[in-house]
Amino acid sequence: MKKKILLLLTVTLLAFGIALFTGPHFISPFRMSGMEEEILLQVRLPRVLAAALIGVALGSSGAVLQGILRNPLADPYILGLSSGASLTASAGLILGSATFAVPLLAFAGAVITGGIVGIMSMRRGGIWPERLLLAGIGLGFLFSALLMLMMSLSTDEGLRRAILWMFGDLSTVEWSTIPYGLVFIAGGIVIALLRSRALNSLLLGDDLAHSLGFSPQRERLVLFIAVCLMTSSSVSLGGMIGFIGLLMPHIMRFLVGSNNALLVPCSALAGGSILMISDLLGRSVIAPTEIPSGIITTLIGAPYFLYLLKKRDILNE
Amino acid sequence: MNKGILSFHHVSFSYAPSAELIEDLNLAVDEGQFICLLGANGSGKSTILKLGSGIYTPSKGSITLWNKPLRDYRGKDKAKLLSYLPQVLDLGVPFRVRELVEMGRYPYADVPPVVGVADALRMVGLESKENSLVNTLSGGERRRAFIAMTLLQGAGVLLLDEPLANLDIKYQLELIRLLRNIKNVTVVMALHDINMAFEFDTVILVKKGRVLGVGTPREMVTEETLEEAFEVSLAIKRIGPQAFISYKAE
Repeated sequence: MKKKILLLLTVTLLAFGIALFTGPHFISPFRMSGMEEEILLQVRLPRVLAAALIGVALGSSGAVLQGILRNPLADPYILGLSSGASLTASAGLILGSATFAVPLLAFAGAVITGGIVGIMSMRRGGIWPERLLLAGIGLGFLFSALLMLMMSLSTDEGLRRAILWMFGDLSTVEWSTIPYGLVFIAGGIVIALLRSRALNSLLLGDDLAHSLGFSPQRERLVLFIAVCLMTSSSVSLGGMIGFIGLLMPHIMRFLVGSNNALLVPCSALAGGSILMISDLLGRSVIAPTEIPSGIITTLIGAPYFLYLLKKRDILNE
Repeated sequence: MNKGILSFHHVSFSYAPSAELIEDLNLAVDEGQFICLLGANGSGKSTILKLGSGIYTPSKGSITLWNKPLRDYRGKDKAKLLSYLPQVLDLGVPFRVRELVEMGRYPYADVPPVVGVADALRMVGLESKENSLVNTLSGGERRRAFIAMTLLQGAGVLLLDEPLANLDIKYQLELIRLLRNIKNVTVVMALHDINMAFEFDTVILVKKGRVLGVGTPREMVTEETLEEAFEVSLAIKRIGPQAFISYKAE
């Protein structure tokens, strides 16, 4: 079990190094000019870190959410957090707010949405999975409609910035947002790892989780908060990146099994790796034009997922 | 104090105030007893077990475990003393048999198990399925895998809701003998098959959320009591220690 995590950790560090030093312009870690050092530290490093954090956040929150909802089709974005973030961030961009305020607006939108979804799903003192799912979907639709309304009434320049943001644009990442992202995402991961046994128990059903000594309602709430923090931070760092939250946990389930003590960290590391590499490709292949990393992630990840699906007979191993 | 390691004192319970599912229930389960709950569908067998495990909280009255109110226990502490196995087991459990069984150790941080995973799997006859995914097992095998998890949990009080359902007759008997052979374990089992009641020390007959009677199988499984509990005429034929229950000819 430890071996698999160590292997993935090595892959992640490798991906980090490659994403940091290569790109449209290769920078040798051993011989750097002053200009190259400047690019590396001020442009690439925050960008690669943001990609890693977003990937880690989406991979692990996908795994956790699929566990608490006991639904393998759950995606962190299904909770409506991303729609809430898009609404507030786009409102800011369209109304001409300063760029530095956008991550803050997005985070606020996501967290507030998470709070509303959480409250909507409460019944008899606890969060109910079906209600969580439906509240998230319902609120997501509402916010999307408001967003489209706002967009159809807005000017061209604001609209372009808003659309770029929603595509998952890592080119505007600045150092200032990284520490906040790091704190919330690390916090979420720690909670998820500490509660991985509770998460496993929830997969057996509430009654058995109770019998094993966990309070299903409390555990779901704590894990939901962890998912909200991680997803909100990731959306605020770099907009919406598809695929990782939904399918990375599935790829990892094929490879390491369903025990969340292993699945959550592996999905996190794999999510971070794939996003760093995707972002590298996105800014390199047709430089100086950038392809949004969300598109690359899906272009790499989806075929691999489909290959695994075809090759591995998960039901008869 | 009160008699019994698990006691119900004037317990009432309902989802909605208008319809009480359990009314003024009094029960005392003594250590080491091997008890079955017998009653018609909807008589409250499952509700009684869920109350006893703390999943449901009584609307009136109290339940004590080792003379301490059940609601005062921390989850982990209770899980070391008492475990509950529901009647309906989830079909979508994504774990392998071994992973599932090992989850029985969750209430204990570092204490080595009394019964090992391999022992537990052997006891339920699943040693060859250790690495199979739980959701690929047959209904009976799945139930046995969960029973192995419960055994590994090692609690002294086992509340089992129809654990014999979907088990072959061989495994029904083996499970009963297995549970009987574990030292100092107290079993309360909801039971569907009346014939099996004779394997128990004590039979609790329930109807509409009330206890009709508590006694030995010979006392409780009679034509009169069964007619009252199940609202159908049954004939009982005794051969030695065995009893055979059949429909009464019209």
